Amino acid sequence: MIIFFLLLPAILMFIVSFVKTDKIANLLPFVSFTIIIPNIMLFKLPYPYHLMGNYLIVDKLGDYVFLVSSVVSIGVSLALMTLHKHVNIKKRAYNRFYRFFALFWLGLILSTLSNNMGIYWVGLEFATLSTVYMIKINYTSTAHKEAWNYMIVDTIAISIILFGIILIYASAKPLLGDNAMNFNALLAHIKEIKMPFLFEIGFAITTVGMFIKLGMFPMNLWLADIERASFYPVPALFSGILESAVMIGFFRFSKIVMQIDFTQLFGFVFIYSFLTIFIVAFLIYRAKDFIRLFSFSGIEHMALIALFWVSGGTFAALLHFGAHAFLKPSLFLSTGVLESKGKYHMAGALRGYKGIKGKIFWFIVGLFLLAIVSVPPSPMFFSEIYGFGAMINMAKHTHHMLAMIAAIAFLLILLSIIFYRFTAIYQSMKYGGTQEEKKVYSSEIIALIILAVSLALLLLPQSMEYLRSIS
Amino acid sequence: MDNFLIGLFLATLIISIFTARLYRLIFWYFVNSLMLGLLAVFIGIKVHDNALIVSGAITLVLKALIIPYVLKYLSKKFHLQRQITPNIKVHYSVILIPAILVFTFFIAEPISHMLQANPNDISISISSLFLTLILMMEHNHVAPKIIGFLTLDNALFLLGITATNGMPMLVELGVFFDILMAIVIINLLFKDTGVKA
Repeated sequence: MIIFFLLLPAILMFIVSFVKTDKIANLLPFVSFTIIIPNIMLFKLPYPYHLMGNYLIVDKLGDYVFLVSSVVSIGVSLALMTLHKHVNIKKRAYNRFYRFFALFWLGLILSTLSNNMGIYWVGLEFATLSTVYMIKINYTSTAHKEAWNYMIVDTIAISIILFGIILIYASAKPLLGDNAMNFNALLAHIKEIKMPFLFEIGFAITTVGMFIKLGMFPMNLWLADIERASFYPVPALFSGILESAVMIGFFRFSKIVMQIDFTQLFGFVFIYSFLTIFIVAFLIYRAKDFIRLFSFSGIEHMALIALFWVSGGTFAALLHFGAHAFLKPSLFLSTGVLESKGKYHMAGALRGYKGIKGKIFWFIVGLFLLAIVSVPPSPMFFSEIYGFGAMINMAKHTHHMLAMIAAIAFLLILLSIIFYRFTAIYQSMKYGGTQEEKKVYSSEIIALIILAVSLALLLLPQSMEYLRSIS
Repeated sequence: MDNFLIGLFLATLIISIFTARLYRLIFWYFVNSLMLGLLAVFIGIKVHDNALIVSGAITLVLKALIIPYVLKYLSKKFHLQRQITPNIKVHYSVILIPAILVFTFFIAEPISHMLQANPNDISISISSLFLTLILMMEHNHVAPKIIGFLTLDNALFLLGITATNGMPMLVELGVFFDILMAIVIINLLFKDTGVKA
């Protein structure tokens, strides 16, 4: 029954997308609201709750990520209502976009709630392939080229993930049999595995695949290129849902590896994340359009989440994760309006709004721009404080306290470069350039308000308590 | 018999790297998939694993029959360029391929010791992964890159068979379903532009 309600919104969206009548097709954005039903049902279940035998699991972590992804899906589908007013898109392509959005959603629901490495991979691959066509909906030669690029880069990344999963499975199969694919079984029996070395190799390879998918160094340019070439809802979906699904995989895999070799895990992820933030900080400094700016910023945040998670700052990582999942899609969705006078018109982008809708728009987008660089009371401000605190706490138990303080200081310098760039852009958007009239539509405002309220709800004591209980 | 089939799997992959014609590459993909399917069926019979026999049978139908047919159909329909000269020259490939093989035998040694499987099979599976990446890299055209990606999937399936005697059935079916989805997407990508890749 729950499975039916879980998959219903995506299946309904898929079916309705074939309808050619405008009146019924207009229902498409509202279909996504039905995802609220399974969300309510899942929160009422006792944790952990198994679905489809042992293949899917509803635990606190999965439920949180699923809720965040559902809110983003609702926001994106609402903003999609006015896509044709900002970009040149045909009705047929519009319906196709929804069709592949539905398939993408199906894949990600499977991945997010998966308790099986194989099912997780299948869902992720399915979602990845669906997004290829969503990029292609923009009928330009650049989008066409980038859709192929995405297909090739991502299939390599996803194949690397599968390679790692096979090694992990091979290491645990003698002990667990077919259950060696099961995240919970692996977590319970990891210390009994006779080949932890093989398990670690598998984990390292899987992580590299996931980090390629997240656009981390050295594969840090493809994501921005692809997001730039697509229509703006695609990067919103990438940053809010696809990256969340990849991240939950990283959380689940690393939770197991932490049991056998914490030091190597930390060293590996720390170096990877550190290098990524180092490179991305300068790329953000040089970014000349909104989509690239937000895309690189997304990579930076993914690196921070991974770093906080492996440092033992589970709460910080999850808070940062939730805040990023609400903020970044909102910013990507707002680019439809911000770039309505040309993609390089950053100066004055927050000027020229009239009426209540316009005022709400510039106010929310202004707040989001500052919130993404952790200006308090953004949840990111708190998550970074708790995250860096967790790193210091971890260093207390080692002989590397000074090195950790130096590393954090260096990270803060890099983050301040990003902060400087964002605040400079905000000032030029608000006070620079010329005042040109821009049109904002109700559905966009509603989408932004939903995401802003969700972001604010993260700061409630109850939400914080829930996130703490996950760790 | 399994050594013979794995040997032929590797041989077809090496030939693919030297191939400069699209239809010939599709043919070698067909032979590669055929060897893989037969190997899965053969190992399935040997270890009495019905799931592996079913996976092998699906591989034979899907990867050795349907996908090569669809690929050839698409290449005709969209007039894909059939001359696909590799960027890596033959005399470099002659050095590179044995180097990859020796290198993977060397790096796979510690892994092979841990598994009960034949060490040579594991090494060949891992070297196949590297060789498919070469196949994807050495071409500028989209069509051989697609075949490279499909062969990469074959190499992973081979690793799954040799290292673990096959993955759970539901996962295997999911992987097959994803490949079908990939073919649909590839068709749509060609169709909606008519771009000559």
